Amino acid sequence: MYRAIMPNVENPTERTLAGLAINDPMAIEELFTSEKVRFDKQLAAKHPDEVNYTLMKNAWLGRKAGVLTLITENWLKSAPPALKPIVGQSLNQLKRHIEESLETFRVAAEKGSEEVASNRDRVDLSLPGVLRPVGSHHLIRQVFQEIEDIFFSIGFSVVEGPEIETPYYNFEALNIPEFHPVRDDMDTFYLELPKGAPTPLLLRTHTSPMQIRTMEKQKPPVRVIVPGKVYRRDNPDATHSFAFHQIEGLAVDTDITFCDFTGTIEYFVQQFFGPGVKTRFRPSYFPFTEPSVEFDVSCPFCGGTGTAAGGGTCSKCKGAAWIELFGAGMVDPAVYGFVNYDAKKVSGFAFGIGIDRLAMLKYGIDDIQIFFQNDVRFLRQFP
Amino acid sequence: MKVVYNWLKDFVDVTAPPQELASRLALSGTNIAGIENGPHGAVIDAEVSSNRPDCLGHLGIAREVGAIYKLPLKSVSPKPAESAAKTSDAVNVEIQSPELCGRFTARVIRNVKIQPSLKWLKDRLEASGVASISNVVDVSNYVMLELGHPLHTFDYDKVRDHKIIVRRAKPSEKMKTLDGVERQLAPDKDRQLDSGICMISDGDGSRAVGIGGIMGGAETEISFSTKNVLIECAWFEPISIRRAARFLKLHTEASTRFGRGADPEMAELASRRAAELILQLAGGELLAGVVDIYPGKRAPKKLRVTRAEILRVMGADVPDKEVEASLSALGFAPVRIDQNRGAEGSLLAAWECTQPSWRAEVEREIDLIEEIARIYGLDKFPPRLPAARQGAARLPHYEAETRLRDRLIGLGYREILTIPHVAEERDALFRPGGISPARLSNPLSEEANVLRSTGLVTMAAALEWNVNHGQRNVRLFEIGRHYDLTSRKNDEPEPPILTIGATGEAREKNLYDPAREFSFADLKGDLDSIGELAGGFAWRDGGAEWLHAARRGSVVLGANELGSAGQLARRVAEKFKFRQDVFLAELELDPLCTAYLAAKEARRYEPLPRFPAVERDFSLLLPDGTHFSDVVKAIRSLNISEISNIEAADLFRGKNVPAGKYSLLVRVTFQSREATLTDTQIGDYSGKIIAVLEKQLGAQLRAQ
Ligand SMILES: [Zn+2]
Repeated sequence: MYRAIMPNVENPTERTLAGLAINDPMAIEELFTSEKVRFDKQLAAKHPDEVNYTLMKNAWLGRKAGVLTLITENWLKSAPPALKPIVGQSLNQLKRHIEESLETFRVAAEKGSEEVASNRDRVDLSLPGVLRPVGSHHLIRQVFQEIEDIFFSIGFSVVEGPEIETPYYNFEALNIPEFHPVRDDMDTFYLELPKGAPTPLLLRTHTSPMQIRTMEKQKPPVRVIVPGKVYRRDNPDATHSFAFHQIEGLAVDTDITFCDFTGTIEYFVQQFFGPGVKTRFRPSYFPFTEPSVEFDVSCPFCGGTGTAAGGGTCSKCKGAAWIELFGAGMVDPAVYGFVNYDAKKVSGFAFGIGIDRLAMLKYGIDDIQIFFQNDVRFLRQFP
Repeated sequence: MKVVYNWLKDFVDVTAPPQELASRLALSGTNIAGIENGPHGAVIDAEVSSNRPDCLGHLGIAREVGAIYKLPLKSVSPKPAESAAKTSDAVNVEIQSPELCGRFTARVIRNVKIQPSLKWLKDRLEASGVASISNVVDVSNYVMLELGHPLHTFDYDKVRDHKIIVRRAKPSEKMKTLDGVERQLAPDKDRQLDSGICMISDGDGSRAVGIGGIMGGAETEISFSTKNVLIECAWFEPISIRRAARFLKLHTEASTRFGRGADPEMAELASRRAAELILQLAGGELLAGVVDIYPGKRAPKKLRVTRAEILRVMGADVPDKEVEASLSALGFAPVRIDQNRGAEGSLLAAWECTQPSWRAEVEREIDLIEEIARIYGLDKFPPRLPAARQGAARLPHYEAETRLRDRLIGLGYREILTIPHVAEERDALFRPGGISPARLSNPLSEEANVLRSTGLVTMAAALEWNVNHGQRNVRLFEIGRHYDLTSRKNDEPEPPILTIGATGEAREKNLYDPAREFSFADLKGDLDSIGELAGGFAWRDGGAEWLHAARRGSVVLGANELGSAGQLARRVAEKFKFRQDVFLAELELDPLCTAYLAAKEARRYEPLPRFPAVERDFSLLLPDGTHFSDVVKAIRSLNISEISNIEAADLFRGKNVPAGKYSLLVRVTFQSREATLTDTQIGDYSGKIIAVLEKQLGAQLRAQ
């Protein structure tokens, strides 16, 4: 039993190893272990605060009379050469243990002192911080961006075009000759012409002229979307503005079919409204697409039931369970004739999404005019 | 078009309830606005698209129903009893303008008794939303709603010489239509000789008794004293009808149907059907035969559709039976003509079809494919997402614009979008000289009669709106376009601009800080933060006229003047009734974005200095009119490479500062890349700086 040979002394660190009659490695380890235990006991008995931390630090790590200094002086320096390595090694271990324990003690002491700080100094979390003024994207711009990103991710480039257009691009090249009944549905703003202007000028009634301008410049494959402002001479009310926003889409290639068209539109809608939304294509009529469709989604607000969550008719789809989103279709072969594409070899699809309506639907806005008033109380709601 | 459910049953034995029928119609191409259940049963409100005039009658809708449900269409073949006397002896018709009127049929019924209609007829008209007038007039409306073909009845005895001449309107011709309005049918002689309006006239042709295909005349109208009736059932050329209706601003049920393209073959049948109903309701005797002038008769067109093209366009197959069933039901009489006739599903399958007279707009293979697809069901073509063949590109300045936007938003500006239509006199407040505005020839109002020449006019309006609605602290920006016809290039979008507006407090009062009003320095700092992205702006004296003369500047980037910035001039602010300072700036966007890209490409890492920087402050008294830039220039002229920064740290006038001078605290930072600077070196540089400022600018160093 090593303990039996351990000298029973008050403070062994004040004596040399020889004075303690220790001369084998095992006894040395025992000696250091007892010092470690002594330190741990002392530390555990003390409440973690700054005073006790300083006290303990001086007692054990103090440069003049700290325990570790004594051990260095009394045990290490006078140790016989054979035992010096083991004493040094044990001393280092003890030192590391003390330093680490004291650091933990210090952290605990600091935390404790903050906790007891007076209520007077404590922050009132219900008071506001300093809010630096931050701006925001216009809601329409946010929706544009979201839609652009979705189509960009499936290979659609973004292009822009003029808002002041000629009747050729706005109507004729889109297979809408003069006196076509469809022109009656698109009340058009015309511009007073400068003297000698060769053609009449108008404000585009849709972003579709860019279908023509794009195909004039580029051979297939074509995949573009065209965000922009469009104009119709409608008297303003809650659902009509004489300026509004559209995104045109056009894809033309040697192998694009109706299935590719519906697949692309479905992909877009599920990205925009979420995967639970069902889609439906109804045959329709536009002079520049054939077959033409109106595109509906199952009402995302009532889950396509037509019934509002609290009972009663869903206000968004008015009970119809479907919401008409936009018109689209396969590009009419007549359009290819205007841009020197071979209608026998290429096919494609086009669509025109009304952005304002989409934003109104998604965010429950009941007056289109609010988009253009730019009231900061509105802008602030869409940070 | 109001579709009366029970009326459909005259032509097709439909059993599906109205609601289901309506939704099937919607999914095959007839847009449904709603269903009403009234006293006469269900009425489906169908929004018939402009390419489907055949669906502007119950027969046409019934044909659609037959195609959808694969039900046969009942034939319409009225056989009214005829008297011995011949129609051709009673009425004479001459078409002088066959390019406007392709067919004109006439029938005569003698000794009718004009009286109110019977209930069943009144009910159907009422369900269709048409007022009942008298039995004969009601019959013409009824036949139009039934067969989709408009017709007109004359009081036979009021038609002079019992002769009808169909001709073009004469210059300055006028007539009174049966709505009692006196109408001018062609412009005055000197302007345009021919309006291309088709007139129905009587006798020697000098008197107009109707506007062909649009409205009858008042003088030959049926009245309760009418004894003998002349039934006109004709066909008019669609484009001329649309022009005429627009010219006259007169849109009627008849002009809608003829304008979209009525069925020329239907004219005689509809006339016969009307005669049958008049005999039934008003009695009388129908003269034998019909006067039928038909210069526009054409042989039916042959069309072809192939399976190969169906597959190429639609991307999925349609079985032979479905192709044939849908085309047959719609009247296209498909016949297989390929070598593999009889082989189900052959890839070489081809059908020859005959264009029915009521579907003039179906002229091409693609039109037939649309017919097949919509009856077969669009949901039968499985969606698939096609792979992209090439990379996608953003707009050329997408990245630059995004960075600009994000920075402006970080600086506290909210993005706005505006409508470019503004009042001319407001536009003029901001319009640069030498530009004439893009003026609308048909504005909705004088408040919106030109397209803005600059975004400032709409920006000022947005600030105005906010201030007027109690929002006094506002910072806005817009990336938009400005419009100018004089410098317009045909293919390019209108030039983009960045417009900035701010008013009110730069910092609102809060728990910790006092409020501070937005100032020119805020605007300049914000603009310079943007400029940093593009290599940095320079500022020059100048700036636009609409700015306050003492608080404005022009913003320069490289060799380009990008625009102006400053405080809105009092004179302009008063027009908007602004009672607080307003700050505006507008920059051309394209050069800014181009410079952004160039600056980005030129940007290189600069190693961080390893030696400490030393700051020295120089408290100077400078003569008024000396600019900070003069101070910087003088110090830079020393070419001391260790000067890393020169900034204005404090500025004041007044107390303790002599008149004609101001006090400027200039902070100079010294830093060497080679070594720590010694006090001696700093002292030496400082001495040189003081000397050069004294010499070049007459600066005095204040005691510190
Ligand atoms: Zn709903």
